[in-house]
Amino acid sequence: LKSLLFYSGTQVKDVIIKPDAPSSLLLDKHADYIAAYGSKKDDYEYTLSEYLRMSGIYWGLTVMDLMGQLSRMNREEIIDFIKACQHECGGISASIGHDPHLLYTLSAVQILCLYDNVDAIDVDKVVEYVKGLQQEDGSFAGDKWGEIDTRFSFCAVATLALLGKLDKINVDKAVEFVLTCMNFDGGFGCRPGSESHAGQIYCCTGFLSLTGQLHQVNADLLGWWLCERQLPSGGLNGRPEKLPDVCYSWWVLASLKIINKIHWIDKAKLRTFILACQDEETGGFADRPGDMVDPFHTLFGVAGLSLLGDEQIKPVNPVLCMPEDVLQRVGLQPDLLS
Amino acid sequence: MAESEEEVDVLVQRVVKDITNAFKRNPNIDEIGVIPCPEARYNRSPIVLVENKLGVESWCVKFLLPYVHNKLLLYRQRKHWLDREALVDITSTLLLLNPDFTTAWNVRKELLQCGVLNPERDLYLGQLALTKFPKSPETWIHRRWVLKQFLGQVSAVSCSRKQKQGEVEQVDGELIQQLSDHLARMLHQEMKVCSDAACRYPSNYNAWSHRIWVLQHMAKGNAKVIHNELSSMKLWVSMHVSDHSGFHYRQFLLKELITELSQTAACLSICLPQHWPSTSPHRHSHTQANGELYGAEEDEEDEEAEETEETQRSSSTILQLFHQEIELCSDLIQSFPGHETLWSHRRQVFYLWHHLKKDHQHHCSNGGSQSVRISKSDPPEGSRQDMTRHEHGCVPEPMEVDRASLPDQRDNKRLKRGVLLPASPNLPSEHSFVDRILDSGCVENPPWI
Repeated sequence: LKSLLFYSGTQVKDVIIKPDAPSSLLLDKHADYIAAYGSKKDDYEYTLSEYLRMSGIYWGLTVMDLMGQLSRMNREEIIDFIKACQHECGGISASIGHDPHLLYTLSAVQILCLYDNVDAIDVDKVVEYVKGLQQEDGSFAGDKWGEIDTRFSFCAVATLALLGKLDKINVDKAVEFVLTCMNFDGGFGCRPGSESHAGQIYCCTGFLSLTGQLHQVNADLLGWWLCERQLPSGGLNGRPEKLPDVCYSWWVLASLKIINKIHWIDKAKLRTFILACQDEETGGFADRPGDMVDPFHTLFGVAGLSLLGDEQIKPVNPVLCMPEDVLQRVGLQPDLLS
Repeated sequence: MAESEEEVDVLVQRVVKDITNAFKRNPNIDEIGVIPCPEARYNRSPIVLVENKLGVESWCVKFLLPYVHNKLLLYRQRKHWLDREALVDITSTLLLLNPDFTTAWNVRKELLQCGVLNPERDLYLGQLALTKFPKSPETWIHRRWVLKQFLGQVSAVSCSRKQKQGEVEQVDGELIQQLSDHLARMLHQEMKVCSDAACRYPSNYNAWSHRIWVLQHMAKGNAKVIHNELSSMKLWVSMHVSDHSGFHYRQFLLKELITELSQTAACLSICLPQHWPSTSPHRHSHTQANGELYGAEEDEEDEEAEETEETQRSSSTILQLFHQEIELCSDLIQSFPGHETLWSHRRQVFYLWHHLKKDHQHHCSNGGSQSVRISKSDPPEGSRQDMTRHEHGCVPEPMEVDRASLPDQRDNKRLKRGVLLPASPNLPSEHSFVDRILDSGCVENPPWI
């Protein structure tokens, strides 16, 4: 199903979209797919991905909310689960018995915002946990073991912004660190000196949006790098000479939206690519046409279509990947460049 | 096949033991994998050891993983006791099957902290996991943690030794030597792990950003190590022309090396502000004509001259680095047309050059001495095109230099004898390169335009 295009000695890594690929949005199928996900999984599949369970729940619930189907999920059970995942230190883990981490602390707070119930957990302790992970140079460790990554800077400020506690950390220092990860191509990497990567760029532009520092981005340069991620099939890749992937419809598109350059790509072609990644039988989206579907790509497929203006889906916020109406309720409106 | 819970229990315990024993039998296992085998055959162990390769038959993974997974989680919730040996065995098995299970690595961090585990054995486990899962972010994260612990120990030892100076000087020297040898071995080993993972998965972000981290933490400012990396990477990138991450690493090395060399040059020139180059007419004349750079006379012995020579050496090394990089890039673009990675590399090399020149000009205009003589073949702004034509007769063609090796002492000797240095990267030569590529027909309009 995947193939390479060859022409005149030059090759482009891309896929070909078959004429019979899905071309309309199968929302009901996707809602059924997410609603059933988890109940039919065997032990093996479940254990394999348990280390990221909390984020998995966030992906599933957010896409259900964007499709207006959140009520089909088991609210009480999920909130109890999150409570059981908060640790003494305040941090939240991916699942019960796992160790706490910023990644899952953010996912848990996002879920509780969808349910308008952040008080289910000890918010002050969450704030203390996040605050305690900031380093002298302004960066954030993902957990007590000290790994540094700009992803964690995003998790920290996103968590605190959703809780209205951004003033609890040293924002200036945090900004300083993220800016040291900016590269000559306008993009960002995981640490100073690391390669630009669309996922890290999303985190860093999102971070600068939440901290009110978007003017620090070179929007023309970054926009150029981002729009060059679009391939002949219409799909977006995350770095030069990589295959297109539905999740980059989100990381790249959301970054373009934040810096106000979304019109620099061919939206119609991207829509065609995203729709072709649906599975007509099972529902859900895969990374590329014909591959296995999963909740991760299903959220980012649907969220991407929302950013492209699909009116069957609720408007999504490009910084936090949550429905705009939820953020209005929280009272958070992250900056976008105009 | 096992069915009841007890049967699964017995089966899994046996398999975990088999895995542990396989490592005891052969401590040099260098790769792991799953052998496709939907059902158990005969009454034999699903763990297969052939030479240095360890295989697990796929049918047993479905029992094995949930079992060891749940066992560890129960332990973590203090609902089930496991002794240290069992913890080591269970986490090894678990991480070889599912290396992104963060909590299992954390259990091993705790075992390392209380001295139950040897850091090198732990790095080895990660190395094996990477043979099957070369991207696994948690495996790379754990490696950095282990390396940081080791580095912390090294600096603690050298600090405490310094305080006791005098008493045990002899022992000091030996210990420091041992530590630095150990550090060098570990550095070498990390580079190998990164290379393996980079070959197993193209544009492996985690492998390459780890490699950058390792250099930043284990060889900071070590020009020799960076030099060696740059040389050894040349062949690798030539064979992986679409690996953007590999080329990014090369850009990182180039930038680090140039920063080091510029600092050497700047530092030396600050010592000699009154002499170099404007008030030293005889040297000035040495450097102006058609891109040639003459060093001081061989027999000149005064310090000033030696330092000047050092400054010149750094500048000419920088110039040669750029020249060789552009030439490598041109060769690859001509041999493998149409690769975005190669053009993006070229862009970065020019960007680096541009910035170095700008810094240099800034330094000069601020009344400082010449920090790095990077523009000896660059005429002043405005007349560049004419000048280059005069100097080289036509469009500047970079001269042939030894492409197999980076500039070294021999190059400097050649410089002293007045060998021509290559022209610096400039706009006209770049335009003519792009024209040549466009004219060569290597690049046609892609079908979607």
